[in-house]
Amino acid sequence: MTAVTNIQKTDVELGLAQQFDDTRANLPGNDWVDTLRENAIRSFAKLGLPHRRVEAWKYTDLRSMLKEAKTPADSDLNSVSDADLYQALGADLHGLGAHHIVFVDGIYDEENSFIIGDEAGLVHMTSLAETLDNPPEWFMQNFNKVNPREDDHVVALNTAFMRDGAVIEIVKNAKLKRPVHLISVSSSASGQAITERHFIHVEEGATATILESYVHLCAPDTQRNSVTELSLEKSARVNHVKFQLEGVKAAHLSNWMVSIRESANYRGFQFTIGAKVSRNTINVNFDGSHSEADISGVALLRDEQHADTTMDIVHGVPHTLSRELFKTVVDDRGRAIFQGKLTVKPDAQKTDANQMAHGMLLSDTAEFDAKPELEIHADDVVCGHGATSGELDEDMMFYMRQRGMSMDTVQTLLILAFVGESFDLIEDKEIRAAFIAMAQAWLGGKTGE
Amino acid sequence: MLKIENLHATVGGSEILRGISLEIPNGEVHAIMGPNGSGKSTLSYVLSGRDGYEVTQGTAMLNGTNLLDLEVDERAAAGVFLAFQYPHEIPGVATFIFLRHALNSVREARGQEELTTPDFMRLVKGKAAELGVKDEMLKRPLNVGFSGGEKKRMEILQMAIMEPSLCILDETDSGLDIDALKTVSEGVNALRSPDRSMLVITHYQRLLDYIVPDKVHVLSRGQIRHSGGKELALELEKSGYAEFVGEDAA
Repeated sequence: MTAVTNIQKTDVELGLAQQFDDTRANLPGNDWVDTLRENAIRSFAKLGLPHRRVEAWKYTDLRSMLKEAKTPADSDLNSVSDADLYQALGADLHGLGAHHIVFVDGIYDEENSFIIGDEAGLVHMTSLAETLDNPPEWFMQNFNKVNPREDDHVVALNTAFMRDGAVIEIVKNAKLKRPVHLISVSSSASGQAITERHFIHVEEGATATILESYVHLCAPDTQRNSVTELSLEKSARVNHVKFQLEGVKAAHLSNWMVSIRESANYRGFQFTIGAKVSRNTINVNFDGSHSEADISGVALLRDEQHADTTMDIVHGVPHTLSRELFKTVVDDRGRAIFQGKLTVKPDAQKTDANQMAHGMLLSDTAEFDAKPELEIHADDVVCGHGATSGELDEDMMFYMRQRGMSMDTVQTLLILAFVGESFDLIEDKEIRAAFIAMAQAWLGGKTGE
Repeated sequence: MLKIENLHATVGGSEILRGISLEIPNGEVHAIMGPNGSGKSTLSYVLSGRDGYEVTQGTAMLNGTNLLDLEVDERAAAGVFLAFQYPHEIPGVATFIFLRHALNSVREARGQEELTTPDFMRLVKGKAAELGVKDEMLKRPLNVGFSGGEKKRMEILQMAIMEPSLCILDETDSGLDIDALKTVSEGVNALRSPDRSMLVITHYQRLLDYIVPDKVHVLSRGQIRHSGGKELALELEKSGYAEFVGEDAA
């Protein structure tokens, strides 16, 4: 730690400290929140931006990747229309029949947000800004504590600068039929820093699909830092899906912090297609037995895109099950990283954990790095992991072309088949179909702008 | 009609085909037999256009088109169909989807309209029933988990759907039991037609009891050493290849 503090601060780190001093008074929240922010910025001052000598950031050196501290997005809401959202999301995701909770450049947009009447009593939503100004007791007791990662550089920055987000409660035994769609759209023509924080509590026995979309109307060099704290109470069942189509110059830093209680079932999925640099951290804690987590994802990268998925799954109690299946397709000079850490604590007997990450490289300059990390302290467990990296199979391609299919058709079919195995794990059929259609468009070269 | 003239080809720098000339008129079935390493499979790959098989001399004309000028998929559209010795498994691509892409690709290249979904389904299900391919198999990823016999049947089903003008069957009998051999052979025989040529590559005479050829050629060290009628296959079976290819034939 001393070694880190002694390293000379970069301009970006100094800039962030300055920005905190400048904006602190304008950020939402009472004294309790201000103290949280104060502690967070102190902890960030100690940690600095993560760099390659920090093991968890080995492949994604933010200290060299972030060239400047972008000005935080101001609190005036840019006006967007529903037609803009349609454009940013595409017809399929816009047309899910979901509840919409919209954030424009990180600010809650009440105009475009709605909870549809038939489920209005089941989903309680307030904006984070409003909650921070007047935090209820239960919020203070739980916020920033769902699977806390005090040593996470990016989470510390998020807590210091958080401006807005959604505080959502899915009520006990609610069985939601409509997805709750959190839509974060960047609309500004100039690159700015957007800091969002969502806090989602799914009560006992409730079932919900929560979709987070990060999309853009303009494509400047935005820096987004988004943290979602999600807790599943006993027997809750949640499909948690992320769609990331940021602009081509954007940096997207995302953290999911998930806590799973007894007999709960968590299904996470992340679809990464945009941004120049993205870091997707997924931290899952099993806090109750007989619970399950199935986490998967697809990333499609080209040009010089860099996408890092880093997971940390902690089995802390007996009888839990986790599955991960990530598929990544990389073209041009793109680079994909998968780091999967699995920890099985001494008490966590009967843990069943399996992790798979597969990369498909479409060019000689594409790169896929996979780093599994298993820490197992219990003896009666089943844990497995695997990672592969490869190209399209020449023999298979010959076979298909001999059946008359063009090279393009063959590649499209084989790549869709490759990623399809992960997409199949998305329970919501409409979301799955929307993603597959987007993957198809990506293969046709029509997406990525 | 297929007309091959003085075909030479190398693989990894060594010459495997050393001047093959062969004519298969429309409506005829020719068998190529020969010992291991004689160039039988190479001939099938050279005709279908596989990467790594370099033609150094000669021509291969199918109904007036030089196949050697075309890409793999263009050759398929021109009518070349290769039934593989070891058909590949295509995980994640349902057989129906595969067949549909295959058929519509060649139809498009041949200037024909795409089949509508109902027409396509009728066509596939009809042909599948004739070959004893169950509907359930058509929903599964192509060849994944299929038995050897099922894979070969699937090759013949594809052949039936694609309506090629040249069928090349590469060791289609390998891995088949007698029952499967019969079904597959019946499927092939049903496709014999006055506007189609067939080239049957095999090690053993057994297949030729079921698919009776018009001519048999013996391939050895990259050349056709001997040609004859269907009875040649029986003679080969009795006396072995040595007598027909000769020690000094090269």
